[in-house]
Amino acid sequence: MILPIGPVHPGLKEPLRLKLKTRGEKVLSAEIDYGYIHRGIERIMQGKTWQKGIFLSERVCGICSYIHTQTFAETFEKIAGEQAPLRAQYLRVLTNELDRIQSHLLANSTFFKALEHETLFMYMLTLREPVMDAIELLTGNRVNMGWNVVGGVKMDIKQTHMDQIMQIMNKLETDYGRYVQIYEDGPLVSGLRSKDVGVMTREESIMARAVGPIGRASGLEHDVREQHHTYKDNFDWNVVWRKEGDNFARTMNRFDEVWESISLIKQVINNIPEGDVRKKIDIPAGVAEWRNEAPRGEVTYSIETNGNLIKNISIRTPSIMNIDACAKYMLNDVATVADAVATYASSDPCIACAERVTILDETGSVRDFHGVHNINSNLKG
Amino acid sequence: MLDGLKDIIRKSSIHVCLVNTGGCNGCDIEVVALLSPRYDLEQYGIYVHNNPREADVLLITGALAEQWKDKLQKIYAKTPEPKVVVAIGNCPLTGDVFNQEGSSVNAPVSDYIPVDAEVSGCPPRPTEILAAILAVGPDAIAARGRQKL
Repeated sequence: MILPIGPVHPGLKEPLRLKLKTRGEKVLSAEIDYGYIHRGIERIMQGKTWQKGIFLSERVCGICSYIHTQTFAETFEKIAGEQAPLRAQYLRVLTNELDRIQSHLLANSTFFKALEHETLFMYMLTLREPVMDAIELLTGNRVNMGWNVVGGVKMDIKQTHMDQIMQIMNKLETDYGRYVQIYEDGPLVSGLRSKDVGVMTREESIMARAVGPIGRASGLEHDVREQHHTYKDNFDWNVVWRKEGDNFARTMNRFDEVWESISLIKQVINNIPEGDVRKKIDIPAGVAEWRNEAPRGEVTYSIETNGNLIKNISIRTPSIMNIDACAKYMLNDVATVADAVATYASSDPCIACAERVTILDETGSVRDFHGVHNINSNLKG
Repeated sequence: MLDGLKDIIRKSSIHVCLVNTGGCNGCDIEVVALLSPRYDLEQYGIYVHNNPREADVLLITGALAEQWKDKLQKIYAKTPEPKVVVAIGNCPLTGDVFNQEGSSVNAPVSDYIPVDAEVSGCPPRPTEILAAILAVGPDAIAARGRQKL
């Protein structure tokens, strides 16, 4: 029997159709249909200047909106062969890590919601609000920040703001461990739909091209921040990864990455150099590709410009690989439908990122809704 | 007296269904932030359920992507009377940055279903969303419930 879930469903935040092939309560395999929020961002960006494009790139995804603008700006900086001033690079790290903390806390709260563990869900959201305050303090907005420009960041940070962010981070560091422990050691929580549910091995995660915390929880020790010049040269931090590849590992991986992010933010505030936060960059014609580590994994921008307008842009977001990995490998032989929903939530799906392609037929109406061709086509038979 | 009693109960029991019709997700996470103890949506008797069949308030976010054109009307039809539609963010109002040449959005949403309240902002703050739900939700639901009787 095929059990459809979505697009509007109590278990899902975002519109997406999850088709579970079930026998009794057991889930045999799954298929995912995309296309409910395709807006055509790449097409809109063509023929626009970067000043317009950067606002569109921010709205690729609302949860990890920051990293898209940073990658967009850094791609243009690579075309020009220059780098932002060091103070701006530090501020970018600061905002990126704040964004990562709030995204990971939100992802984990969604997972706890899928477990029906309301207490931890509320705790996660309570922890997240001060981080949103810190983002607002720094950039002036909670979600879509409008903070990056090509050649730096828009505004400088004041010492008072840095002190307040430091206070928020100290508070978070003191409180945070308790909630991690509730999940990690809780007799009910860790057994419930977490440990040994939705297992993806290292080989499978390579085949599914899984990235980010989902890949790292399966043993892929890969973080693009290792190759980023700012992180590589100035900061001391570790890649968090685990071997188990189950729901528990994915959630704990996100929990542990928050520790690293807190440490990075403190390093930024303690060591931030003086100087400008923005410089003028003349952009020549050219083409470049740039990668960054979004909260959900590797995001790639490939931009071709004629020096003024964007001729061509291609955005590769992490969610599409992670959702496909979830459908193909994690949702195989899951014991119950409730486990399947928890597994889906643990893969941290962000549908707004994933939507790139819609196929129209001759009359112009939408014919097929797949973001990519479904790699799991064994439901068709 | 029965009507009065029903009004009181209806006003403090509002089920909300969130429909993302093609936005960037920013408004949706602000609705999730409303659930947090800081804003505490549930103290007003509002419950985010995401099930259109038992919803009183439909929260519409997003700029209406291609395949939501008919689906949104179906969801609206499935929602039982009395119902209220709140459009959140610039996307359902005008299409925001997506409403440009080459895009595949069909904003505004009010072309397809009747909209009772509109909150602008990209995204609006959680308190503004809450204020909008409370501004149209309880009274309209109670009043419309009386009309049906």
